[in-house]
Amino acid sequence: MRKVAIVGMGTTKFKARWLDKTYYELAFDAGKMAMEDAGINRKQIDCAVYGIYNDFFQRQYQPDAFVHDYLGLGLKPMVRVNSGGATGGSALRIGYSEVASGLYDICLVLGVEKCNDCYNYEVQTTTPEVLRAILYTADMTYDNPAGRTAASGFALAVIAHMKKYGNPTEEQMAKVSVKNHMNATKNPIAQSPKILTIEDVLNSRKIVEPFKFYDNCLYTEGSSAVILASEAVARELTDKPVWITGVGASADYVMPGNRPNIYTFESSRQAAKRAYQMAGIKDPIKELDLAELHDAFTGTEIMAYEDCFFCEEGQGGSLIDNETVMPYGELPVNLSGGLIGCGHAVGATGIMQTYEVALHLRDEAGERQLKNARRGLVQSIGGTLCTWTVCLVLERED
Amino acid sequence: MNKAEREKWYEYHSGKEGIPVEYLKRDFEDELSGKNAMDDPLEIPDKMDVIYKYSYGQQSRFFRELRENKKIYGAKCNQCSKVYCPPRATCSFCYEPTEWVPLEGTGIITACTVQYFTTSAFIKKLPFICAYIKLDGTNFIMMTNIEAKDVSQIDVGTRVKAHFREERHGAITDVYFKPIEQE
Ligand SMILES: [Zn+2]
Repeated sequence: MRKVAIVGMGTTKFKARWLDKTYYELAFDAGKMAMEDAGINRKQIDCAVYGIYNDFFQRQYQPDAFVHDYLGLGLKPMVRVNSGGATGGSALRIGYSEVASGLYDICLVLGVEKCNDCYNYEVQTTTPEVLRAILYTADMTYDNPAGRTAASGFALAVIAHMKKYGNPTEEQMAKVSVKNHMNATKNPIAQSPKILTIEDVLNSRKIVEPFKFYDNCLYTEGSSAVILASEAVARELTDKPVWITGVGASADYVMPGNRPNIYTFESSRQAAKRAYQMAGIKDPIKELDLAELHDAFTGTEIMAYEDCFFCEEGQGGSLIDNETVMPYGELPVNLSGGLIGCGHAVGATGIMQTYEVALHLRDEAGERQLKNARRGLVQSIGGTLCTWTVCLVLERED
Repeated sequence: MNKAEREKWYEYHSGKEGIPVEYLKRDFEDELSGKNAMDDPLEIPDKMDVIYKYSYGQQSRFFRELRENKKIYGAKCNQCSKVYCPPRATCSFCYEPTEWVPLEGTGIITACTVQYFTTSAFIKKLPFICAYIKLDGTNFIMMTNIEAKDVSQIDVGTRVKAHFREERHGAITDVYFKPIEQE
């Protein structure tokens, strides 16, 4: 396999609603920024991988075809990837394979999602209708009719973890929310920059036991893109290549009855293990400088500390209590604000997380720049009770 | 658009998307009466919709038994003897066919949570309980709603029993569960 580098990247703002853009107009903006950042034009792109999750959001089946057209990439090969919340991570994994295999030299990996055109006229908000669109991805025969949401699926897992290990506590979850909203205040693309107290989080309205309003990410519109290149091309294009040195992925049984338990996400453990193996990482907490983890919910960020082997199984809550994951801690988690602070533009999210880590590795993260950032982890999760996980290890040149 | 044209527009969209005219008027009157500038973003009502005559395939008997006989059936693997519910025609681990076995309809909650917010389709049911239950005589768990007088009494380990709707449609929602103690 050939070495693969990120040589260009771009992202739109993550906002509740881009009223003045369609999904392919948003995608165009991110794609153009990434090409400009790499110093290339559309003609130099060899192939594209698009991460787009929900066709109901876009009000369009096969929306990738229209993104490809709008970007002026006609007649170049492309493929669309969809793995729920892990769509962005999966798109990066496929893009990596395109270049590592030697099939192509320059690959555009672009994620986009525009969910908030869905609208419930009766209650005059978007979210219930967004959730209705998402529920079509639950098993239509046995799960969908129960009215389960993504939040309730993950709530069941967090409750099972609490019962087994006594954590995360609601207070530990609130601390994660405070951290991620705070981190977002230094991220110019973030949707939810906020200074909150633990009490603000604990007193916010209940969504699904044990999650309160501020324990949840919000649905977001946005697009993020990276340009991947082979080593030879990367050397020509940039002095600051960001190397993808580890790629791990796993997809679990979607019918939870086929799993031994739900208090841990085995797909996350497998994906992290494989990514670390490939990157030669043995002690992640020491060898990683930062991580962007899929914090769709505060409780699942804490579960992710364990699933990414930052601590022993059952000890996740301690890493927020002892401030390991704070911006000034041993291993800062979600400096972007994560999904909770920056936003969850589903198909774009994994690519936004990658953008964030690469930004630190290039020393371009401005006010929130982590000193001496050399190696970072991206974790991208999707599906009922964490069906898919993709983990990427990114490293700077020296 | 003049007033008559606007009324026609409301009627057309109300019929097409099933949105009450009063909501359409509230949200679109400004636009249709020309208050927005030509270059402002233009919003429209729309709906995605497909009609089916869907086949349950090899799971068909499960739904007929629910609808006709108020019975829950599991599917037992001929090789490893594990019982699936929801049923499968083939064991996904042995790749061997399963056979139908009747179940008692009792079971235990393995995970549960209370929803206070949900999708458009379920808003009127709030708050409600989503749970994974393991039916007696099966080796797998299934997602279901639990109906209870007091949601705080529901927890992992609570014993539950199947109840059937008066009006059954041949869908998983023909059956729901209640805690045994609360009957
Ligand atoms: Zn079997």
